[in-house]
Amino acid sequence: MVRIRVPMLPAPGELPWSASVNDTEVDIHVESNAILLDVLRDQVGTLGVKRGCDMGTCGCCSVLVDGEPRLSCLMLAHEAAGCALTTVEGLADGHHLHPIQETFTTHGGSQCGFCTPGFLVVISALLEENPEPNEAEIKAAIDGNLCRCTGYQQIVDSVRAASMIITSGKKTADATDPMPDPHPGMPTVEVESEELEVVPDE
Amino acid sequence: MSDDDEMVGYKQQPGKLPFARPGSGGSEKFSELRDESRIPESQGGTLAQPQGANRHDSLITGAAIGRRTPMVDSRWKVMGQAKYGDDIRLPGELFGRILRSPHHYARIRSIDTSAAEALPGVVAVSTGSEAPACFGVLPVTKDEHAMAQEKVRHVGDLVACVAAEDELTALEALRLIEVDYEVLDAVHDMRDGLKDAEEPIHDRGKYHIGDSNVQKRVFQEFGDISGMRDSAVATHTSDWYFAGANHGFTEPHAVAAHWEPNGRLTLYTPQQVPHYVHRALADVLDIPMHQINVYRTAVGGGFGGKSDPFPHEMCAAILARKSGRPVRITFDRDEVFYVNRGRHPSRLGMVIHADSQGRLCGMETDALLDGGAFASFGHVTTYYNGVLHTAPYEIGGFHYTGTRVWTNKPASGAMRGHGAVNSRCAVEVGIDDVCEQLSVDPIDFRLANLLPPMSRTITGFRITSIGMRECLERVRRASDWDDRFRKLPLGHGLGIGCGFFISGSALPIHWEPNKFPHATVHLKVDMDGGVTVHTGAAEIGQGSDTVVALAVAEVLGLPLDMIRIRSRESDTSPVDLGSYSSRVTFMNCNAAISAAMEIRQELLDATSMITGAPTERLVIGDRRIFSKDDPAVGVSYLEALQKAQEDRGALASSGAYRTPPMGRTHKGAAAGLAPAYSFSAYVAEVKVDVETGQTSVLKVWAAHDCGKALNPLAVEGQMIGSIHMGMGQVLSEEMRYGRSGNLLNADLLDYKIPTVHEMPEVTPIIVESNDPEGPFGAKEAGEGPLLPILPAICNAVYDAIGIRIHELPLAPALVHREIEKRCKELGIDDPLDLPSPDLEHSPLHHVLRERADEHSVRDLERKLDGERDQYHNGALFGLDATIPADEQDDSWTAVVLPDEQYLESPRLAGSAWLHVERRHQGGDA
Amino acid sequence: MRMPPFELHLPESLDSAMTIAGELADEDCDFDWIAGGTDLLPNYKWHLNSKPHVISLAKVSELSTLEPTHIGAMVRLQALATSDSCHPLLRQTSGTIASVMIRRSGTVGGNICLDTRCFWFNQGEEWRRSIDWCIKCDCGTGADCRVISHQNELCVATYQADLAASLLALDATIHLASPDGSRSLPLAEFFQEDGITRNVLKDGEMVTHLTLPDDAEDWQGDYQKLRLRESWDFPEAGIAAAWKIDGDGNLDGLRVASTALESIPRLHQELADEAREGWAGVESVNSLAVAVQKAVKPVNNTWFPPSYRKKMVRVLTRRALAPLERVEAAN
Repeated sequence: MVRIRVPMLPAPGELPWSASVNDTEVDIHVESNAILLDVLRDQVGTLGVKRGCDMGTCGCCSVLVDGEPRLSCLMLAHEAAGCALTTVEGLADGHHLHPIQETFTTHGGSQCGFCTPGFLVVISALLEENPEPNEAEIKAAIDGNLCRCTGYQQIVDSVRAASMIITSGKKTADATDPMPDPHPGMPTVEVESEELEVVPDE
Repeated sequence: MSDDDEMVGYKQQPGKLPFARPGSGGSEKFSELRDESRIPESQGGTLAQPQGANRHDSLITGAAIGRRTPMVDSRWKVMGQAKYGDDIRLPGELFGRILRSPHHYARIRSIDTSAAEALPGVVAVSTGSEAPACFGVLPVTKDEHAMAQEKVRHVGDLVACVAAEDELTALEALRLIEVDYEVLDAVHDMRDGLKDAEEPIHDRGKYHIGDSNVQKRVFQEFGDISGMRDSAVATHTSDWYFAGANHGFTEPHAVAAHWEPNGRLTLYTPQQVPHYVHRALADVLDIPMHQINVYRTAVGGGFGGKSDPFPHEMCAAILARKSGRPVRITFDRDEVFYVNRGRHPSRLGMVIHADSQGRLCGMETDALLDGGAFASFGHVTTYYNGVLHTAPYEIGGFHYTGTRVWTNKPASGAMRGHGAVNSRCAVEVGIDDVCEQLSVDPIDFRLANLLPPMSRTITGFRITSIGMRECLERVRRASDWDDRFRKLPLGHGLGIGCGFFISGSALPIHWEPNKFPHATVHLKVDMDGGVTVHTGAAEIGQGSDTVVALAVAEVLGLPLDMIRIRSRESDTSPVDLGSYSSRVTFMNCNAAISAAMEIRQELLDATSMITGAPTERLVIGDRRIFSKDDPAVGVSYLEALQKAQEDRGALASSGAYRTPPMGRTHKGAAAGLAPAYSFSAYVAEVKVDVETGQTSVLKVWAAHDCGKALNPLAVEGQMIGSIHMGMGQVLSEEMRYGRSGNLLNADLLDYKIPTVHEMPEVTPIIVESNDPEGPFGAKEAGEGPLLPILPAICNAVYDAIGIRIHELPLAPALVHREIEKRCKELGIDDPLDLPSPDLEHSPLHHVLRERADEHSVRDLERKLDGERDQYHNGALFGLDATIPADEQDDSWTAVVLPDEQYLESPRLAGSAWLHVERRHQGGDA
Repeated sequence: MRMPPFELHLPESLDSAMTIAGELADEDCDFDWIAGGTDLLPNYKWHLNSKPHVISLAKVSELSTLEPTHIGAMVRLQALATSDSCHPLLRQTSGTIASVMIRRSGTVGGNICLDTRCFWFNQGEEWRRSIDWCIKCDCGTGADCRVISHQNELCVATYQADLAASLLALDATIHLASPDGSRSLPLAEFFQEDGITRNVLKDGEMVTHLTLPDDAEDWQGDYQKLRLRESWDFPEAGIAAAWKIDGDGNLDGLRVASTALESIPRLHQELADEAREGWAGVESVNSLAVAVQKAVKPVNNTWFPPSYRKKMVRVLTRRALAPLERVEAAN
């Protein structure tokens, strides 16, 4: 059989690669021809970065490279070496969600959620640069991201709502704060000692 | 040990504090009052009930439903923590890749895998000979295998699979597998599928239809067939071509299989219907179902495209078994298109008749469906293309011939609006044309021809609630229809379209619906007070986890964060049919409500024991159960729970839902039966650039009757998302096959899904008709909202340029060609001089208006009157409403086989009936 | 999708890029330049003519200069689309390219050197195998052209870069560099009529920058693009027009260029000159539009049918020239 196609093997040699991923220094070795998306998913472990089309036409793989949104599926890993990378995992401040994360939940910006990470990093960069984008600016900023569920309208709504949170200077709630329970577990009333006797099944 | 020493109980030391009551902590001491505005009037609240009472009204606590509720799993998604198919990374995993056919149709003479197996790093290689068992989504049409047996049937069909230490090695190994093919004559055009073939794509032995590639054929006649043609004064005839569409979900298929140390298989897969995979795996792997745990990962979009059991899922399991290690297979985007299961490419003949009274006296539909290489859901699709347009209108006759053929293309299957989308488009465009011929307003025409609530369609479907009238009236108002329809300048148009869809199929494919429930939900409440819900409904982003949680929260009066949904694993969830046919809200919420009612009863009983108040006077508020008569008499939820748990521990309950017996007995009567139906009406406003043929949708007013919006945020999301998807099919999306028969656009650059810039401004209008059997009155909102957008845009394009185009997508080149043609016909040089259609009402207009007004009164009466008579389709044509039409008039008898007269000149799909079913391939007829 | 194996070189200056290119040439190693990667990487993922070495220009900062008449090859398309210091026609044109995300990676040089595209070429490896390959990536099989068969000489893949048309209309000059030295030529002479050869770049040669004539700011223009969707889609036809109005408000200069219609972009200078002499407003617009339409020969290898693309050339040209409908010829 004639081997007429590009052989996949051998893989090119590995080279040291370091970057700051979500404020954590990563030092690993990656192949010379590696794509940033593959490195993030398979080696760094930031699985929040999604592979949708692998060809730059869905935006699911968007990450911030030194604060700028980029398609990680169309970026050579070694070109991003030494950069500060932010993935969706790096948007929240501890348990405080980034406003756009918060409003994506409250305004329906996320349905199946697969495109969500890409939208979130792109929109976070938009809001960083322009905290009060108008509708045209919002659409222009997200026209490289594909969403099949929402029809974009609730995504645009979410951006507007996030913009309001940001301009109001409020912080989003801590996700781990207990929800108020109207009936605390412990009664605080004084009780007579004999009432405390618990004698089951006598 | 003597009797005296026996421990009979624990006696607490005096002076010690009591055992702390379990609970979730927190600081606010008092519960909120019951929100009266969310309690129906019938239960003493202030919520207006114009649509009457519902059987679940007494369970409403005001806690959850009806509010715009974020999805309960959305935080995982926005934090990047949701695990989709390819995010399952198991220690020691291997990478699986699949060798696919380069031929459309070929016989495999031999496969040599030795070189691949010898490649260092390759751990397992498997071919079809190792998995001979067939499977398929429908038990009646099992025509798929894990890998090709003797033949490959489309480019991309699975031939072999490899598991290796890394992906590159797996890819290289695929190239080393040598396959010797004998290329066979392929069928590309669906019309060729009707003909006898040298080598039919599948042989079904004794059920084979001639030597053709006909997979399924349907013939149906209801109503007065000869009468409808005689009494017609306006007839619309069209021949449509609909290109195939793909679901276009953003997450490519991915699967991981792992044989656990105890010898059981866990299959991680983004599935809409884990149960089908569960069954198919057992068949293919030849192991009992209890040895398999199907774990549904987060699903990155389904839309019907992840509801079949897939061969690659079998491959992963086979490779994992063979290698003894976990195997993960992730698709490239082109492989997604090879699996397909998208909307059928179809050729549809539509005839609509209207009589002098402006009644729809007949519909004749002929649907030829290109099924691709496998049956998938096609059996059902073939019925749905006909029966799902027999409502919401009362019709005088319905003639349907539907045929699905196998061709050498990736298989078509179920896609959002399954089987109803294309034919609905043709019907609604046909009605628009008939109205044009009659010079009446198409909204008036529809309003004068609707079935009432609590009625039967011509095919015997049971209509319960119907909000169609309100949908039409509200979009008419919102879009300023009366002042703008047929009055806009050239290139600018308004159009109306309606929809009708099942809210859960009444026929569970794998079992007898009268014996086993359609859905089962388990609840567990332990000391922490939180409620764990076990359901097999598959969360695919539509909010099924959320809506089931809402139903439970509502009944128990708990905040949503106290409800935990466990819906991922077949090990823990009751068997469920998953997320298709828009069944989850209706069926799983109903099941969840009945499970929650059990827990509720136990809590009420416990409260009654503590307070002495009679159970029937107790109500549930926000985590408090108290007496209606004196709200001060009551206990907290946790106190009641603790009492109920005494002596037995955690509370558990099980609830189930099954549809009431329904439907008629003719062949195919079960297809399209549902416990309820959704209705919708959309108005679209478009601009057509008459010089380029490019169409853009500016605005859509979308009214959808979902019965009751349990979560309006999700309902609106479904509506807007449906519009996006449906608009894609109208304007740009198509699976395009080239001269060689190859799919030309198996990628997201050339499979043209509309971008944010194409999306119109949508005004979602939720109509709540309060279904008597729906959970709190709810019906579906997942698929029905897609249907009206296609005809609404088509009709708007007509309003804009005065040309009807019976082909989708409305590609600019196509529209431009039609505009040129029309200009030539009219002798116009510049397309900007084309006339724009206008409307001068005919006298029939008043007849329709009057009838619509009468029917409006009739409908409300039927809705609110519990003692109503039966209403069967046919009454509008002078028959007795209370008796099925065929029982009072012979000419209305249902027919499911063509007679000789029909076979003399059958229509396109109907010609499938010229073949004789034969016993064995090569044998006699 | 996995990349075919290659070794990446990341020079940090033009000199060192040239050194690497020279060394690879000496060793007889094939290589590709990579700028933004939005064109090359998808092609590599599909195993289309990949090379064993790739030299990335990402770190070569001297190629990123952006001035009114000097546009570095590594200027990102989004930077061009949002820049105040570039010609408005280029700003408008680059704003229409693909999607905002592609533009953030894609570069001017990469766009000019965009590989030609064809339905029978831009497909995965297995797909191309199933049609027995094609002339543009025949994998050593000597396969025929699949668009027009039995003509084993010319590749008719379509050149679908937007910027080319506008740069041609602005009479840009392209500047090239190779280990053997640098050269400059009018952009119109850069392209070569063949979907495989595409342009005059020699092995190891690359584009460093483009310059516009000094009077570029006196020229106004418009770019009209035919495509199905407002994002992502390549042009199915693109017409750029640039004109100069003299002090009397009369037409003093006119250039029209087309792209995405053939395997190269085309400057229709003779047609424009002819029309400009005796320019008569609407009438001239219409006749020039017809002439441009006649001058192009699209083939069936992109999304829209060629007959439609050709017809649209007239509409696009007319719309691009609409501002000149009321202008008269300069004396």
